[in-house]
Amino acid sequence: MRSFPREQFLIMTGLAEADAELAVPELARRLAVDQALIAAGAQLLSEEGLVTIREEPYRELVLKEAGRRAVAEGFPERRLVRALLEAGGPVAIRELPGLTSLEAREVGACLRFLQQKGWASKHGGELRPGDALAQGEPAPGADETLLEALAQRAGARAREQELGAAGIEVDRAIEYLKGRRDWLDVRAKRTRLAKLTAAGRALAAAGVAEAAEVGQMTPEMITSGAWRDVHFKAYDVRLGVAPLAPGKPHPLQRTIAETRRIFLELGFVEVASPMVESGFWNFDALFQPQDHPARELQDTFYLAEPAEIALPPDESLVARVRATHEDGGETGSLGWRMPWNPARARAAVLRTHTTAATARALAAAPGGPRKVFCVGQVFRREAIDYKHLPLFHQVDGIIIDEAATFASLLGTLTAFYGKMGFERIELRPGFFPYTEPSVEVFIWVEAKKDWFEMGGAGIFRPEVTRPLGCEVPVLAWGLGLERLAMLRYGVLEMRRLYLPDLQWLKEVPLCR
Amino acid sequence: MPVVGIPVKRLRTLLGIELEPADLLRQLGHLGCDVEGFTELARVRCAACGAVHEMTAQEEIPPACEACGGDLRSKHEELAPLEVVRMELLAVRPDMFDPGGLARALRGYLDRETGAPHYPVVPPALRLTVDARLGARDSYRPAIACAVLTGVRLDDDALKVVMKLQENLHWAIGRDRKHASIGVYDLDRLTPDFSYTVEDPDAFRFVPLGAGGSGAEHARSLREILEHHPKGMGYAHLLAEHRAYPVLKDAAGQVLSMPPIINSEETKVTLATERFFIDVTGLAVATVTRTLHIMTSSLLENLPGTTVEGVEILGPGEGERRITPDFRMQEMTLDAGRASRLLGVPVSAERAAELLRRMRHDAAVDARGTVAVRTPAYRNDILHEVDLIEDVGIAYGYHNIPPSLVPTFTVGGARPQAEAAARARTLLCGLGYLEIMTLALTSPALHDDLLGRPASPAVKIANPASSEQTMLRTSLLAGQLETFRRNLTHPLPQQIFEIGEVTLLEPLAETGALDRYHLACGLVSPRAGFEEIKAVAEVILREFGCPCELVPLEEAPFMPGRAAEARPGDGDAGEERWALRFGEVHPEILERAGLQNPVVLLEGDLEILAGL
Repeated sequence: MRSFPREQFLIMTGLAEADAELAVPELARRLAVDQALIAAGAQLLSEEGLVTIREEPYRELVLKEAGRRAVAEGFPERRLVRALLEAGGPVAIRELPGLTSLEAREVGACLRFLQQKGWASKHGGELRPGDALAQGEPAPGADETLLEALAQRAGARAREQELGAAGIEVDRAIEYLKGRRDWLDVRAKRTRLAKLTAAGRALAAAGVAEAAEVGQMTPEMITSGAWRDVHFKAYDVRLGVAPLAPGKPHPLQRTIAETRRIFLELGFVEVASPMVESGFWNFDALFQPQDHPARELQDTFYLAEPAEIALPPDESLVARVRATHEDGGETGSLGWRMPWNPARARAAVLRTHTTAATARALAAAPGGPRKVFCVGQVFRREAIDYKHLPLFHQVDGIIIDEAATFASLLGTLTAFYGKMGFERIELRPGFFPYTEPSVEVFIWVEAKKDWFEMGGAGIFRPEVTRPLGCEVPVLAWGLGLERLAMLRYGVLEMRRLYLPDLQWLKEVPLCR
Repeated sequence: MPVVGIPVKRLRTLLGIELEPADLLRQLGHLGCDVEGFTELARVRCAACGAVHEMTAQEEIPPACEACGGDLRSKHEELAPLEVVRMELLAVRPDMFDPGGLARALRGYLDRETGAPHYPVVPPALRLTVDARLGARDSYRPAIACAVLTGVRLDDDALKVVMKLQENLHWAIGRDRKHASIGVYDLDRLTPDFSYTVEDPDAFRFVPLGAGGSGAEHARSLREILEHHPKGMGYAHLLAEHRAYPVLKDAAGQVLSMPPIINSEETKVTLATERFFIDVTGLAVATVTRTLHIMTSSLLENLPGTTVEGVEILGPGEGERRITPDFRMQEMTLDAGRASRLLGVPVSAERAAELLRRMRHDAAVDARGTVAVRTPAYRNDILHEVDLIEDVGIAYGYHNIPPSLVPTFTVGGARPQAEAAARARTLLCGLGYLEIMTLALTSPALHDDLLGRPASPAVKIANPASSEQTMLRTSLLAGQLETFRRNLTHPLPQQIFEIGEVTLLEPLAETGALDRYHLACGLVSPRAGFEEIKAVAEVILREFGCPCELVPLEEAPFMPGRAAEARPGDGDAGEERWALRFGEVHPEILERAGLQNPVVLLEGDLEILAGL
């Protein structure tokens, strides 16, 4: 007598007993065994020539949201017909919403179904009962019967054949429903059917046995030594398993973590500054002229609460900043040659760059050598669309050092992006009020064969450093982090990072 | 930043040097232009007034002609397309907004023509008197600078260049005509001398550009122009506080313009114009003078064969007299040693002078070895020696500077808050929670109403750009619930967390608000309950080494009797600080949010958990 592993044994005996071709799910149900195991077992048997497996297409009908509503509330055309019967004759179309609590739009959309079913038709502005209403309210049509039947089934779905067997005119119903959005889904599916081959039948007739084969190893088997006497079933290692979703950090947080690690490796001290910031630290201390377009209401978020922030208590600092703006003060500059208004410096804003943080750090300890960085959120006055967000993350850094040069700015940024995996960087002339030279930082992205702008950099102007008490060169940069994350994780729209889609977050690989 | 299209053929002609297209883009890039690439513009000419309109491939022909208001879409003549280099305007270099100015800079950069260009000014034949009333509070626009250009020969392209340059200068220096607004007129239609004066808004009338004709029946009062003319309505705010409006007139009483709003129809420039009168009006003499220098010198570059003539300006003060333009150069010195130290490459004084000449400065090494520099009047961005050092760097080529690192050793150090956040992230990932990020900007509806709470005291924006972002978040809980709501069809259970800053109003803080790191996590599943989230809470408290007293919490969004607050130490009732708050979300809130499964949430104050 041939013996088989458990599932194969059950399939052989099950199919022999049924003496017919069976669908895999049906067979699994009869045997009370998981479908995947039966599918795998049948596959192995078919490889031995004992079972044949055939695929057959079928249609599955699924009730959708609008259809579900129609079942619960009655088809709109039926509700209209009832209104017509109640009125006993034609009714003006514009009165129908009031009589049926349907919206005008729904009434309009329904007219062609009334016509199609012969229940009523539109003549000018009124709806006239059709001949079908002579005998009173029409019996439920194929479409109504079908949806009703689906609504009663588990999962609101059924195979076409099952419905046909219940006497429902499925084709006719589908014809009626195909013009209605979100009522019914017709899905093409396949089922696998298994039956014994002649050889299989012969073997089953001769009798088969179940091998002493086990799947799950148990503690008892190990402690009792019974494992020595059992045959461990070989699994099909290619079969799917239920997916696991690990907990993992957000792609942008990974980019931030990496950025922090790199600057820490390069010997930088991490600092922070408030998101609610004064015009003084966000703009004035950085020699941004008071009439600069970036300071206007259309670009910067000004605050209603708190609306004002006191100027720094160090009055001489404020006086030096003021003088620098007005006539250059002691910095050797011409200044902006415009009066400086302390009220504009007191205005509270959401910081527009983390350079506010490095400016504060510089003022707090202006002597070098020192290296400082800050990662934080910055705000620009934008509404959300596919390419704008009102906030993003920046990393700002400064190097305060007698020996700092433009060449070391290039070297430091090359080191940062090199560690991030971008080998080539280029500094191109740019303009910022607080740096000179000012450059824009581009990295070469091999995958896209193009240069991408990552942010700005430069050497702080004497108009910035001297009033803060610093006499040595200060290299500075402010780089966007979202774009790095987007390049690395293949994100096309920045807002995707902030509007959490759990499917995407689970799928985007940790290692890129 | 606005984008300008520089006609390639014109640029090449003015440049006088053959450059491969790719080379041209590269050189422009080195010079600091933000170049997007080459493109073709479609062009049509208005059948009514002859104005030329340019469109990108995506744009349609506008319905109405911008110059005359006529029906452009159906009445126009198609012209040959125009190849242009598209680039973003670099606001700091308005002298490179046009083909002539760009060619001037490129010729220097490519070493074909170096040193400062010289623009001789013919002594003035024309005089303009400025009315003292323009300096008064109720009609304030006192500053004016003018020039005359002779020998002008225009074609469609040249006329377009003049108009675009004017428009772009209005943007970059004029701040949309407030600080400087430029007028260009056909001098041959005018009778010298001119006056810049003020007129009554209702009594005074003239025919503005685009009125549909030049006859007297098209004349409008100044007020009517501000109220009904498209340009008038667009710029009316600039005169809103005035009781008398500025007007520029000739000796015969012909109006040139009502600055900064609109020119007159009679004096407009056409293809036949041979002499320009140019004026720039504004609030400060320095700004209008600088604008005039840029406009005039660029026109001289764009229109070879033209000559500039001065204009004598009298007033507004008693006895005041100036002649504009005055292309006097700005003098400064450069220390080559400082330039070398800042750039990190050795540059001798001779080399620095040569590089500066390539950037179109006059530069020579003086007896003491410093570089004496004279900067053309059209450059308005040189405030300090470092600005010259930048020009030395650009001419040297940033791409020719080898990268290095500062030789000084420094010790790095992380912020404890950021480190605590990293530890919390490790912990929550270990518990199988998926990290999300939500926007720190929110609104009372999204932040408080969703959670069934009264509006939080919060940092509020005075000029929001959207009704959905009007405040900074004070809690991370709304982001959790909102995320569940966005992912209704995603399989359950869903386990998420967020770590980020919240901002609390704090009158004692320097800026009136404090940013604090919070953490939040949430679980939605058919079996989610208090026990599960309490287990998470216990893990967090244990792993952070933050012993707490648990006390019942009655606060939305939680259900009373099923929420707790963890207070550090022995849970002193007077203590307002809490380390964690967690519990089951009230079903009423779930129902309102459209959630059909139980949700448990937790929020923690990382700085208290980590003892910072």
